[in-house]
Amino acid sequence: MTGQDGAQDTALAWARARAAGPLRTPPDAPVPDGMIRLAEPDGTAAWLVPRVPDTADTRVLAELGLAGPLLEMPNDTARLLAATLRCCWEDPHEPPWPGRPAAEAEVLTVFGDLTGPRDEAAHRRSAVAGLRRLDQAGWLLWDEAAGAVRLGPRVALWSGSDLAVLRQLWRSINFPECSPEIITPTRDVTGGAGQAPAPEPAPGPGPGEDR
Amino acid sequence: MTDGPGEAVQPGLDDLAGEAAVLRIYRQAFAVLAREAEKMILSPQLLDVDEAILGAFAESGSDGLTEEQVRNACRRYPEATVNRRFEVLRGYGAISKVFERPNERYYRAAFAPYIMLLFLRRIAERGGQSELHQLLSMEHESVSAESATQQDGRASLERLTQVFRLIANELSIMSLGADVEQLRENAQLLWGNEALISRAEDVHAVVLNRWPRLDRECQWLRAGLAAYKDAIDAAAARLIERAGTTRALGLLPAEEWRTFARTADIDRLGAVLETFVFDAPGPWFDPQAMTEAVESGGRPEAARMPPPRPAGDGDAPGDDDGPGDPKDAGDRVGDTVAELLAGSRSVDIADALRAAPDWPSARRILAHMTAAHHDPDLPYTLTWGEGLDADDTETPAWVTRGSFARDAGAS
Repeated sequence: MTGQDGAQDTALAWARARAAGPLRTPPDAPVPDGMIRLAEPDGTAAWLVPRVPDTADTRVLAELGLAGPLLEMPNDTARLLAATLRCCWEDPHEPPWPGRPAAEAEVLTVFGDLTGPRDEAAHRRSAVAGLRRLDQAGWLLWDEAAGAVRLGPRVALWSGSDLAVLRQLWRSINFPECSPEIITPTRDVTGGAGQAPAPEPAPGPGPGEDR
Repeated sequence: MTDGPGEAVQPGLDDLAGEAAVLRIYRQAFAVLAREAEKMILSPQLLDVDEAILGAFAESGSDGLTEEQVRNACRRYPEATVNRRFEVLRGYGAISKVFERPNERYYRAAFAPYIMLLFLRRIAERGGQSELHQLLSMEHESVSAESATQQDGRASLERLTQVFRLIANELSIMSLGADVEQLRENAQLLWGNEALISRAEDVHAVVLNRWPRLDRECQWLRAGLAAYKDAIDAAAARLIERAGTTRALGLLPAEEWRTFARTADIDRLGAVLETFVFDAPGPWFDPQAMTEAVESGGRPEAARMPPPRPAGDGDAPGDDDGPGDPKDAGDRVGDTVAELLAGSRSVDIADALRAAPDWPSARRILAHMTAAHHDPDLPYTLTWGEGLDADDTETPAWVTRGSFARDAGAS
């Protein structure tokens, strides 16, 4: 991109991203300066994610002792993101984007694993709240109707050292490989069916209806 | 300033630093003169002596002073020192005889040296940047003047070249060798420098346009300015490197920033942030924080239980305005409206409401009447009529006509 128009388009794209987070564009859209382009796996669209220099990102906020954007239930939301990461990041030696889509039930199972035994309604409520928050911020893409969850474009902003920590986290989370029915805080995947009621039977894109 | 002659008063470190700064400038400015007079200034006290001598002359009036009178006026200082400074001042013409004749005993002082002294102290305090600005304006005026000659232009250029070379040298030496503290102290040489440079460039442009033959001198000035810019960059880079990614704004006092934020126009304010980029306002998930959240999860969380209530209290809090037991509430409403009717069968709503001292109490009365009307256990009826009563001297000013009455069948 060159000249006045290019600069204006860039400024516009940045303003949009500032207001709305990562931008979903047609696959052939130009990439403004300072943004990274993430193609959708099926090639129908591309995401433009603003990437700011290290010296201007949220770490500087911490350094300055300023509060970042307020996040409700930060711990539960972080756990839910960790659960999604565990389900959607198939090979931790690859970049997390685009990852594979996971069934909502699958993510919820891992999430329940992370939060420990909870009242079913409370569990469901905090999971949905967390999914909504993360979906809105672009950390994951939640197809509520299809009951499918996958990682959002913002995960591409994690730096190399961040990913090293996340790999560690990935390994520490237990993945319910063949039996998503099990919600149990123990590390035994095949262990006793716990206190939690049975979730969706299969990790297919089944309807995520309330129980 | 010390009081007695030779009295050994130990000045504080701050005093010493201030004196040292004055002395440094003074020494720089007078080195040439003093060397000629074979009198270098070697201690800050000498400056005070100079000031005292000139002060004595200022007080003396139009007659002038003899050498003895000066010595008497300056008796606070060691006599030998006063004598020596007197000779020095006379040597370069700051003090001269009232009449130039062999046996003249009276002396007078010129005002220029004292002004020089004030000027030097000011430069030492403020770094001399405003003087530099004034110098630049003066140079600009003199080279723009109709009567200016090529000679003037050349002289102007040479002076400016000298000035900028000297500043650049001082800065680059400091940015290479001095510690950051010293650099920060001399930061006034760094800020506001764009205006200085652009004014010098103005002078340069005027001279070059008027006398193109001076291009060699102009080139020197350009080189001097470039050296100054480089020195600024080097010094600023060292300071910024020290300040870190948080860009500690300690370079300038906080008030300076506030003033700027309040007085700058939008463009200048925006220019400050031109090189800053902000992230979209989405929450950021630090992997470390995620790990901590995951590790702290899984522990059974204490379920939130409502605090225990005293047994037997039931669901009726003993609050006056709270919705108590329906029976109690009905009773209370009944009592209130019975009081309102005060034995009569029916009451006009406007009277009842306007009898209340203010709107909140009138509202409460209306609420009680309405409640009584709807309560099947209470024999009261609220009847609304047509039209509004308006009276701006009353509260409430507007009341719908109507009446509140005890049912006929009731006691």
